[in-house]
Amino acid sequence: MTTTLHRRLDCGIDFAAEVMPDRPTVSFSIRFRSGSVYEPEDRLGVARLVEQAISKGTARRDGRGLSDAFDAIGVQRGSGTGRETITFRCTCLPEYLQAAIDLYAEMLKTPTFPDDACRVARELALQELAALEDEPIDLARKLINAQAYGPLLGRDPLGTEQTVAAVGRTDIEAYWSDALAASRMAVAAAGAFDADALAGQFQAAFAGFGQTSHEARDPIPLTFSPTRRHHPKDQEQDYMMICWPGVPMGHPEEPVERVIVGILSGGMSGRLFTEVREKQGLVYWVGAWVARPRGSGMIHMGASTKPDRCDRTYATLLREIDRLAEDLAPDELRRAVTGIAARQEREADMTQSRAEDLAEDLLHFGRPIPVEEKLAKVRAVTMDDIRRYLSEHPRSRLSVLTLGPKPLAG
Amino acid sequence: MGSHDSPFVETALPNGLRIVMEVMPSVRSAAAGFLVNAGSRDETPELAGASHFLEHMCFKGTPSRDWRAINIDFDELGSSYNAFTTKERTFYYGWVPADRIDAQIELLADMMRSVLPPDEFDTEKGVILEEIAMSKDSIEHLAWDLIHEHLYPGHSLSWSALGTEASIAALTRDQMHAYFQQRYSPLNMVLLVTGRIEPDRIVETASRLCGDWPAIEPTGMREAPVMHGGTVVEQAGRFNQQAVGWVCAAPPAGHPDAEAARALASVLGGSNSRFYWNIIQAGLAPRAGVCWLGYSDFGMMMLDGLCLPENAEAFAEAIRREAGEISRQGASETEIRRVKNRRRTSLAVEAEAAYHRLMQMAEDLCDYDRPRTVAERLAEVEAVTVERVATYLTEWPIVEEGLFLSLGPRKWPEAQIP
Repeated sequence: MTTTLHRRLDCGIDFAAEVMPDRPTVSFSIRFRSGSVYEPEDRLGVARLVEQAISKGTARRDGRGLSDAFDAIGVQRGSGTGRETITFRCTCLPEYLQAAIDLYAEMLKTPTFPDDACRVARELALQELAALEDEPIDLARKLINAQAYGPLLGRDPLGTEQTVAAVGRTDIEAYWSDALAASRMAVAAAGAFDADALAGQFQAAFAGFGQTSHEARDPIPLTFSPTRRHHPKDQEQDYMMICWPGVPMGHPEEPVERVIVGILSGGMSGRLFTEVREKQGLVYWVGAWVARPRGSGMIHMGASTKPDRCDRTYATLLREIDRLAEDLAPDELRRAVTGIAARQEREADMTQSRAEDLAEDLLHFGRPIPVEEKLAKVRAVTMDDIRRYLSEHPRSRLSVLTLGPKPLAG
Repeated sequence: MGSHDSPFVETALPNGLRIVMEVMPSVRSAAAGFLVNAGSRDETPELAGASHFLEHMCFKGTPSRDWRAINIDFDELGSSYNAFTTKERTFYYGWVPADRIDAQIELLADMMRSVLPPDEFDTEKGVILEEIAMSKDSIEHLAWDLIHEHLYPGHSLSWSALGTEASIAALTRDQMHAYFQQRYSPLNMVLLVTGRIEPDRIVETASRLCGDWPAIEPTGMREAPVMHGGTVVEQAGRFNQQAVGWVCAAPPAGHPDAEAARALASVLGGSNSRFYWNIIQAGLAPRAGVCWLGYSDFGMMMLDGLCLPENAEAFAEAIRREAGEISRQGASETEIRRVKNRRRTSLAVEAEAAYHRLMQMAEDLCDYDRPRTVAERLAEVEAVTVERVATYLTEWPIVEEGLFLSLGPRKWPEAQIP
């Protein structure tokens, strides 16, 4: 029997915790409702620089001292900046949970952003921008996002060379001061703890953190551009990305869409792997996935292949986009559902996975959603649901991108 | 059930197939894999890439299933599955809800008797060639291949596990079949199973499925390599970054110094490490690290990273400086304690998933020929001391650089040191 607590703490934190007795670890995720979509236009990349520089010194100790303190209790740390969130993750042994909370509070509430650290964070960000050119899949993802999502959701958290170069310490501190506050904070935790006590620990640690009230941030609209662009690049392979709008989390058709993506790409028996790789040997990598910012959705397909085979690969992907409406088989639906349910079951024992799932629930729904409730909706999807979805959501407007030596012919 | 002190149950079938199991009562899933003692170092030049191509072909048809049925059956199980080939081994695995482990083992066992269907051979060859092309768009992959090419010239370790376009294009199904028969014998394989399992039932299943596999003595001898040094400079103008680094000799897997090697790599180039603060946080490179690689009869310590081409000199100098400093000073008590603390947490994370334990067990079987308990692995890292690391640094120096590599837009250094 799962015990999940959800509460808005006095300090403003949106707090959710799932008790998992007998787990050897505890995990929590701290997410701030601030990301690249909220950055000033001429300072793109500043959110990520806050995320990077925040650990480089606090009122109490310098960057190394803080890292040493985390290591003294064996914390596994992670952080990241996305479109709408800045996230800090922690996994540790249960006996160090309070100490970990205290360290995160120290880091997030009292950073000093030393000049040197800000300068280095900026310099490294510029180097990361250069490094991205050497990572074709990541580069292709960045380019399709910029092309297809509209001006705000299409931003890249790394920023641009121009905007990053302009970010100074004052910008970093100003962004931190606005973006990081208990009232913008969601905490999702999983492990063997007393949930009420844990809520109390976070309340005590983060009381008075940042501005006490903020305007609620509405979902950012997705402005879809059905464009086609080729980015010439000297590579062995051509990378292609195709995307089109889907539905947001919480939409009644979201489970249907999730199943459809599973039919296309859930496993090796998925249509894309079967048609593009198994039958024709055109690729090593091919797949479909769905991205869901708050309030919107985008379905993606991608593949990479040698330039002389990219037209054939593209034609196959286009055909697969619509073929589902023609000849869907019940066993494909069943397998897609099986895959989704099995994944949930496999990951049910892992505190990191549960904490991440809870964090996603808070972001999209404002409350934890029981796993069984989500799975029930997926299990309820029928062949008729899929046919109806496909007829109501035609894939006539696509955004297409190629990156490599050869553009598409047609 | 496992004995009082050990969660492991080990046995072997009469034909030599070892079965190693770990019972994890507090997880809801189970994972199984076949570990084959075959990798690219077992190949001849004509067979370069055969082990990896064979790994692909094991998904393409068995006596009772064609590739469609294999893929469908994996997905009907809701399995999370894959396979990989390294220089020394091939591993096929699947991770499923606990009540499906018998079916998962049956599917994997069937694949181990692959018929290597000739009809699928050429199509899959196209896939391998795409994988090779993809690897050439990765500067890290290219650096890795270049390092091995120059570390072990003339040895089977010198070529990529993917093979080359030429060797793959020329490879025939019959050549692969001969290789398969030589290496995929139960005497050369281990079945690993972890999770919420009943060992007696697993052994029964394995016996039924694999008991009639012929116990052919695997052929092929692994020749110990001789590590070469020198400077390798290769210009690759289509990348933005320069890959720069050193490779030095290090203990092989399972060696008494292995844990000291791991600890050193972590202290020098892991998280919160000297490389992190003195190189990355000095703005010299976004990626710099140290990695120990232990193979069965040799090992490598790699100190490397990626930087902007114009920073290559400063980056290389910084690596040298850090290697020199730790060689003189050694690691501190605090630095080593950090490694131990992080290990305790990562062992706890590992214990939560049958998949993680399966992967670790596969590694332990390769390195130690047996599974290792959490207690043993904790004790091993606990036994690393300041003195042991200092001794390590004299016995396996990292300052007499074995092989230096520079790959990227700059042809640097210009003068090659003979």
